[in-house]
Amino acid sequence: MLVLVFQFLVLNHLGFSAFIIPQAFIVLLITLPLSLGKTTQVLIAFGLGIVADLFVATSGIHASASLWLIVLRIMILSRQDLKQQMVSNLPYNMKSVGVLPFLNTTLILVPLYHFYIFWIQNIGAIHWKNYFIASGASSILAITIIITIQYLSFRGENER
Amino acid sequence: MQRLLAFIEHNIHIMLFVILQVVCGFLIFRLNPYQKATLTNSVASVTASSSQLAANVSGYIGLKEENLALQNKIAEQFRNESVSSLYYLADTFTVRDTSRQPLFDIVPAQVVYNTSNKAKNIFIINKGSDQGIKRNMGVISSQGIAGKVIATDNDYSTVMSLLNTDFNLIPNINDVEYYLPIDWENKEPNLLSLKRINKLEMITEGDVVKTGTSTVLFPRGITIGTIDKVHSKTTSQYCNLDIVTATDFRKLRYVYVIINNDQEDIEQLIQNAE
Repeated sequence: MLVLVFQFLVLNHLGFSAFIIPQAFIVLLITLPLSLGKTTQVLIAFGLGIVADLFVATSGIHASASLWLIVLRIMILSRQDLKQQMVSNLPYNMKSVGVLPFLNTTLILVPLYHFYIFWIQNIGAIHWKNYFIASGASSILAITIIITIQYLSFRGENER
Repeated sequence: MQRLLAFIEHNIHIMLFVILQVVCGFLIFRLNPYQKATLTNSVASVTASSSQLAANVSGYIGLKEENLALQNKIAEQFRNESVSSLYYLADTFTVRDTSRQPLFDIVPAQVVYNTSNKAKNIFIINKGSDQGIKRNMGVISSQGIAGKVIATDNDYSTVMSLLNTDFNLIPNINDVEYYLPIDWENKEPNLLSLKRINKLEMITEGDVVKTGTSTVLFPRGITIGTIDKVHSKTTSQYCNLDIVTATDFRKLRYVYVIINNDQEDIEQLIQNAE
């Protein structure tokens, strides 16, 4: 919930540039519990995407991007050895699966999400230079935020 | 059946993904004005392109029939013209003629082999003696003179091209007959020459060179070419002419063989007179 509030009330109004809008809320989809069924994951992605669309008035764009993200996540995770985490009903995060696998997944999914939504938003009249700058910068910022969130929660749990 | 059910159960998330993507697509392209406009434009553009493609394909398919129709139309027009030129006196005099047979008839043909890079160029057409083609018949293209038949078999004929050093033709320029042969000097595939024309004839560049009445192979007034350059020396009374052929021999596809229905009779009369 905090992540959603942070996304829609803070990140969407950062005002760095009209182009740079990091979608850090997708960390919620990336870190979904590993025990969840695939169908449930798809439904959650669609629901979360629709909520994001309601906040920024982009009917269907975030929902579509979230669906792609979750399907790709299912494919990526199927190539990682996560049996123990699944048995222990752990979420998919830096602490449970390790820094490298999580980073690997994040570095693939976050840019793809941003490139997809910027493409759909500008479809038919893409200014390629702006497109790559906006998608790239937003992705870098979102990855930084996601890693920071993960690191902070990781450290918080360790301190407790 | 069980396998199918197992497959569906195993991939139900993919099916759900596809269904939800369709829903998203509907939302994106129905509720977002920009995306809606883009889709409408794209659909219109694709529709226009496919219509154009369909029109091009059907046009191309119909091209052969169109060509044949055009050839026949030209042939018909030519026949009528030759009739009117033969009977132009009918307005003034009573023409005693019961046959009403036109002097010239033409047979459309397709060029199946053609050269334009040799000294003695020829081309072969897909009409032969079975279609009434004989040796020494004139051949024209839709642009002008093309050559004369030098050999025939049942279905094909060999035509001596105008671009042949052996081809001689008496020209008519500005309605004046010049009894000097037009030559092809094997220089360029569209350049003929006419030598020793008197400067007093006042021939200028751009004048059209046509056939006259000095040949029985072609009707009068068929274009041979256009004068491209007049070469004159101050020390000479004569000038030489460069003539650009009306027919583009490198693009020669369709031609018309001229049949002079009275050629033998006329040639016999000429021979007797000489």
